Amino acid sequence: MPGLTNTRFASLHDVELCALAATGERRAFGELVRRHGSAVRGVLRRMGAQGAEADDVAQDAFLTAFERIAEFRGEGTFAAWVKKIAARLYLRRLQKDRRLTAIASETIEEEAEIPHGDTDAAIDLEEALKVLSAAERLCVSMCFGAGLSHTEAAEALNLPLGTVKSHVKRGLEKLRTRLAPEDGAVLEGRRGNG
Amino acid sequence: MAELDFERRLERLFADFTELPDATAFAERVERRLDAGWTARRWLIGAAGVVGGVVGASQLMMSNVFQRVETAEDSAHMFSSSLSHITTSANWVATVANTGTVVWVAAGLAALMMGFVLTRVIGEI
Repeated sequence: MPGLTNTRFASLHDVELCALAATGERRAFGELVRRHGSAVRGVLRRMGAQGAEADDVAQDAFLTAFERIAEFRGEGTFAAWVKKIAARLYLRRLQKDRRLTAIASETIEEEAEIPHGDTDAAIDLEEALKVLSAAERLCVSMCFGAGLSHTEAAEALNLPLGTVKSHVKRGLEKLRTRLAPEDGAVLEGRRGNG
Repeated sequence: MAELDFERRLERLFADFTELPDATAFAERVERRLDAGWTARRWLIGAAGVVGGVVGASQLMMSNVFQRVETAEDSAHMFSSSLSHITTSANWVATVANTGTVVWVAAGLAALMMGFVLTRVIGEI
């Protein structure tokens, strides 16, 4: 009775589901995918992956997570762990398709002045990320979305630590200019269920 | 400080996500792939077992196992015949013990010993 089983899993905590998944319980892992699938896909999209590609990588990330579930010690959240796996898989895919080299070799050049955020209109993160270069977007998303440290991001991107830090710094400057000042009401209204 | 605040705000923004409309379909696709992987693994293990069995059986056939079994059978026959000889000797001992002769001999020897001890005691007194 899959419906009944899913209801039982829905009431369990992530850690309990992980423990069940570690014993080979695939339905428990399915519940984890149901809970965190959108978040993982969202991070990949923010890193620059297109819809179908983001979904493919997210699927692979969850399958990898299932294979390596015994390695998950519960030190962080399950979602953060899968996001890191997904980010690394996406980078590997970029490397395989030789797209990462093009992104990494982007020169830091002065760009046209970025229009300031309109305080009256809420500019969402997706829109703000569009003004970043591919490398800046990738570095910022990896560090703030996937939770990688600068060092981890540098290793994953095979770039010097200084380059990653400067991409992040420039990205943050652009985002700060672009994003409207924090408006509690607007932000709370936009908050998802994560 | 303002920089740190902005970074925290950015982390919150990244943590926010809208539940995608096809979230359930996505989870089902992952579950299907998990099931498919599991089935493939079971087939692989089964196939490996069959191959291992065939290799084991062929090795058994190639190592003159039947000849060795025949030799072992002959050895077993020899062993059982030796065993039957030992059993016969054991039966003779058992037969002697069962007749009661041993009891009478032992009683006689005991009476002799008692007589000897008595004569020695009288001699000492």
